[in-house]
Amino acid sequence: MWRKLPQPTNALEHSLDYQHSPSLRGRFIVVGSFTIILIAALAIKLVFDYSERLADISYDRLLRSALLQMDENVGQEKGEITIDIPWSAFATLAQASEDRVFYKVESSSQGFITGYYDLDSTPALPVEQGSMQFFDRQYSGETLRFAWLERYMTEPDASGTVRIVLAHTRLSREEMAASVTQRAVELITLVALVSIVLLVIGSQLVLRPLHRIEKELEDRTPGDLTPLTLKTPRETYHLKMVINDFMKRLQTNLEELENYTGNAAHQLRTPIASLKALAENARDIGKPEEQHQALEKIIQQCEALSDTVSFLLNQALISHRLQSKALGLIDIVQPIQESCRAQALTAFRKGVMLSFETDIEEAVIVGDTMAIEQMMQNLIENAVRYSDLVSSGERKEVIIRITPLPNVYRVQVIDQGVGISDIDKQRVFERFYRGRYDIPGSGVGLSLVKDIASHHKADVVLSDTEPHGTTVTVDFPAFQYTGDHL
Amino acid sequence: MKGLVAFFCLYWSVWGSAATPVWFGDRAAPRVLFINSTLDMTSFQPLLERFVALYPDVRIGYVDVNTLELYYRTVSEVNRPTASLILSSAMDLQLKLVNDGFTQAYRSDETSRLAKRAKWRDEVFAFSYEPVVMMVNKNAFVGGQLPEDRQSLLSYIRQNDEQVAGRMGTYDIRTSGVGYLLASQDARQADATWGRLLEAFGSHGVKTYCCSSDIIDDVASGELLVGYNLLGSYAAQRANEDPNLEMIIPKDYTLMLMRTAVIPKHAANPQDAGRFLDFLLSDEGQTLMTSEELLYPIRPNLNDAHFAMPLGPTRTIRTVDLDQQLLVGRDLVKQRRFIRNWELALELSSDD
Repeated sequence: MWRKLPQPTNALEHSLDYQHSPSLRGRFIVVGSFTIILIAALAIKLVFDYSERLADISYDRLLRSALLQMDENVGQEKGEITIDIPWSAFATLAQASEDRVFYKVESSSQGFITGYYDLDSTPALPVEQGSMQFFDRQYSGETLRFAWLERYMTEPDASGTVRIVLAHTRLSREEMAASVTQRAVELITLVALVSIVLLVIGSQLVLRPLHRIEKELEDRTPGDLTPLTLKTPRETYHLKMVINDFMKRLQTNLEELENYTGNAAHQLRTPIASLKALAENARDIGKPEEQHQALEKIIQQCEALSDTVSFLLNQALISHRLQSKALGLIDIVQPIQESCRAQALTAFRKGVMLSFETDIEEAVIVGDTMAIEQMMQNLIENAVRYSDLVSSGERKEVIIRITPLPNVYRVQVIDQGVGISDIDKQRVFERFYRGRYDIPGSGVGLSLVKDIASHHKADVVLSDTEPHGTTVTVDFPAFQYTGDHL
Repeated sequence: MKGLVAFFCLYWSVWGSAATPVWFGDRAAPRVLFINSTLDMTSFQPLLERFVALYPDVRIGYVDVNTLELYYRTVSEVNRPTASLILSSAMDLQLKLVNDGFTQAYRSDETSRLAKRAKWRDEVFAFSYEPVVMMVNKNAFVGGQLPEDRQSLLSYIRQNDEQVAGRMGTYDIRTSGVGYLLASQDARQADATWGRLLEAFGSHGVKTYCCSSDIIDDVASGELLVGYNLLGSYAAQRANEDPNLEMIIPKDYTLMLMRTAVIPKHAANPQDAGRFLDFLLSDEGQTLMTSEELLYPIRPNLNDAHFAMPLGPTRTIRTVDLDQQLLVGRDLVKQRRFIRNWELALELSSDD
């Protein structure tokens, strides 16, 4: 049924609701910015490590060169190991212009030879004779970079090893690393900031089509349900289609409702007019017996009217249900049997036997139980009504049968009533068409059956029962189990 | 090891005879700044007087010390230095003080204005240049050509064997820090020339001195004919005053030292020490060095019209770099060997 959406009760609630809704753009920006910042931080960390390593590599070369120059000048003088440190060695070190220099030369045979006596000359890494190693160590209140070398004396009459350590402070290294890092950090920060700004601008651009659709819908007159023709990007095409489809359905619903209301009003007007004529007639009649008779007629007419109204309500309920509720997997044996049981007593009072015949326990189709029940009720009521008309001598029976056929469950309601003429057979499914006005009924029963059947993709066929009567056959497509469903 | 022992003996001997300071400024001034310096009073007095005139609340106690003694004193007083400012011409010892962590950094507008080569680590600052020169008594060269470089000095010695015997003077590198620096730089610049010179000095009974001024005194008095490796500022002053004296700037190469200042790590009054250093480096201080004919200022743009600017464009100037290379000359083994060779050459050693 068409109902107006509930309006937010006041503006405050509305704005609170708006504020508390998660923002698509906000989320996009936050996640994007977070990612960019993370990447930038990672890059900066890498640059820091890299620049430090780069500085160490460059300045270790300096240290190595100076140490080798010192090593070349280790010699022997009067049987003693000695060293004549070349000026060039320290000229090399002076390239690290502000760094303090410390060194120590010692030998296994003589111990301390020259340099800074208290400089710790133990190697920090596993010793390999003749190969240089570099490490950091504290001395004189600063962290120094050490170059360490120990080798065997090569002079013919010398024995043992000589060890040279040369160290300088890390000032130049840090300066170099800092200058490399600073540029890189500046660049990375700039790139990150620009990216975030672009992200903010971009998010605005990306969401603009949505705002356009929103604006278009907002600006429409209340009754305008025509499809959106707005040109929008591919990503919003689906949304547009869904909105259009939704509006189409709304339009169909509305039209149906309008039709229905018109027809119903029209259908109600005739019996009410006849009721009025009957009532006037009864008022004007003088004889009490005749008046009584007239009143009986009025009552009959009222009952017929009441039936019509309840049919109409039922149909409205079912058609709303068919519109709004998704179909599921159901068994139709159970509800059909239930309908028979429910109608059995009413039918029996009218002298009609209902019999339910089936060999199967279960018949699974895609459908709605309530609609099936309603359909069966209408069919059985109709059958009973038509059976009633036959002269009372014969045994009256209505058979409800479910037969499994390939891919189809056939449901038949077979009566032995007066039957329906071939002309009527073609029109009974029209709404408000009544085959015979001497039979009480609204004329909507079979049209509802048709609606329900077509909603279940079932075929409805009317045929004659021999010798007389009508058979209604509804073929429901059986649910085919394939792997995809579930 | 002998050289080292000699240093220590010397060190103890000067310890006992620590000179009493010369005072400048108001006796009642609230703050006192002690300066230990190797600068002769005559070259420095006007600067000190000007400073206390500018800053009357500072009183300066000025102590004149020999370069090597100054170094050992500063090292031994590491925790409680008597002086808050150390001025010395022995660049190598000053730099070694910085390298070995005995000094503190100082930064000001004046020090940041200073060229990079005139300071190291913001802990040692050069405030004046000092060309290294020879000095002769003109009377001895009447009719002869004055030697203008080391080669001509050598040939003069060879030609005047008897005349120069015992009448040449130079620094005793065992007792003078700056003397050692000059000798080691000579050896580094021109090893062969230095060897021949040393041999010539040794064979002609060279006299050794502790200080430039003593050598100049003896040249002036005629006791010496030649003084070798003297500090230019003193020599220029004296040559200006005394017509008998001629300052010779060696043409082959001229060593250029810098006089430097450091502030000891635990100095009692680093603020005033810094202030005094700023004054030395200021336009006024630098100009005063020129106008009063005291020193060669460190900032070259002020060199335009110097009192005795002897350095023409043709000279080869070898400026001693104020950097880590100076440490090599002060290596224990190298120093010991150098002094030993010097002693042997000059026949001063007894045990060989």
